[in-house]
Amino acid sequence: MATILRLREIRKVWRIERTGEEMVALGGISLDVEQGELLVIVGPSGCGKSTLLQIVAGLEQPTSGAIEVTASNSHQKLTGMVFQEYALFPWRTVRENIVFGPEVRGVPKDQREARAQALIDLVHLKGFEHRYPHELSGGMRQRVALARALANDPQVLLFDEPLASLDAQTRKVLQVELVRIWQETKRTFIYVTHGLEEAVLLGDRVVLFTARPGRIKEVVPVTLPRPRSITGRREAELLDYLSEQIRDEVERALQAEGLT
Amino acid sequence: MWRRYRLLRFISPIAFLLIWDLVVRLGHINPLFVPSPAAVLQATVNMTLDGRLPWAVAASLNRVVQGFVYGSLIGIALGLLVGWFRAVEDAVDPLVAAIYPIPKSALLPLFMLWFGLGDTSKIVTILTGVLFLVLINTVTGVKAIDPVLIKAARDLGASQRQIFVKVVIPGALPNIFTGLRLGAGVALILVFVTELEATRAGLGFLLWESYQLMLVQQVFACTVAFGILGILSTWLLQWFERLVCPWRRL
Repeated sequence: MATILRLREIRKVWRIERTGEEMVALGGISLDVEQGELLVIVGPSGCGKSTLLQIVAGLEQPTSGAIEVTASNSHQKLTGMVFQEYALFPWRTVRENIVFGPEVRGVPKDQREARAQALIDLVHLKGFEHRYPHELSGGMRQRVALARALANDPQVLLFDEPLASLDAQTRKVLQVELVRIWQETKRTFIYVTHGLEEAVLLGDRVVLFTARPGRIKEVVPVTLPRPRSITGRREAELLDYLSEQIRDEVERALQAEGLT
Repeated sequence: MWRRYRLLRFISPIAFLLIWDLVVRLGHINPLFVPSPAAVLQATVNMTLDGRLPWAVAASLNRVVQGFVYGSLIGIALGLLVGWFRAVEDAVDPLVAAIYPIPKSALLPLFMLWFGLGDTSKIVTILTGVLFLVLINTVTGVKAIDPVLIKAARDLGASQRQIFVKVVIPGALPNIFTGLRLGAGVALILVFVTELEATRAGLGFLLWESYQLMLVQQVFACTVAFGILGILSTWLLQWFERLVCPWRRL
């Protein structure tokens, strides 16, 4: 497998303006992302995993370190982000939200409309093209957000806890859908979550983060065949292992905040 | 159940008018102060037929609409810039803070001095009142836009200009309409105030003249006309908002 992104010693330090204190969010992350893999990043809250995603997206600058892109096609957009809170434009319909990227990037109208139609089919939103976001359920909104990110045809899809605010039932359905879409589009997915079950179900590799400052504790390859089931024996074993690894980190995080 | 309540909406105003009429007829109230509804209606018909009321309404509307439209346009444009560009905010903020608390009617004498006694000074007074309300609400609207929407737009490849046009402007629209509604109310107040002086045309003038001549029915007729203008402006703005913001549950 070819490497598509090389993260080199990414550090991020936030400065709290009021007090002048410095807070190290990311303490040097080095990681190679392989083309076409579904990479899951898990860690306790506040470990900087979302910050890392924002840096990869170019929405934040790292304090130090670099990202090397080994992209084959420099004309293509590198990344597209799916946010936890959907971040849909409330004044645009489903279709209008999906075409936003191609629209601002100057793709001719007939091309972007055709692309939108294909994506609406892919994420199963047929019949809802002309609804506004507030007329959709949470799960459907996240489908729109995914289609919108895919509309730019980015090489890497970034997911920032996309299913965290959905109910358990919808989350299960969308986890299956995500794997299907990942398989159909053959894109690289970087998926940030704090759900260990999700990590077991989705990941080709699971990157475990330490508590703040975020560092890579371990990279766990997952070779279990798909489709996976959380009730499966080997899945359960992996889940146990990950839980154990992360428990220390959660405790460390709580101690740091003075909560234990 | 709701049917019965809905009927009440028609019954209560009619009952109010009937009781009002009855009380005046029975001589409990001096008709010199409170004329009967029939007398008010009669005065309205007379003033409409002899052209005084339509003419007054037209003169006032001309001032209100011009003042409102110019004030709104400047307020929206300035508000978007102040809300989005830090430098513009730092430049404009102290001026707004200094001028906003002044009752806009108190500016009329100065404006008459500068723009003469004609329509211009009245329009400028109304414009000023509308401008500040629309400006302040537009700024609030821009600042209330969820930052994650700006991030999403950037992530999808939008330039700063495209973010301004495709995210900031539509995102601020709900608050802009709040400003327009408040501005419409203030515009009606100000047109009345500005018509007390230096004019012989307009609904405010007609009302004031009727008062001075002790023609109470006419005072009532003009007051009702002002109320109707208020209702119509609200409806018009509601219709416009539905047209411009179809995504909102109104």
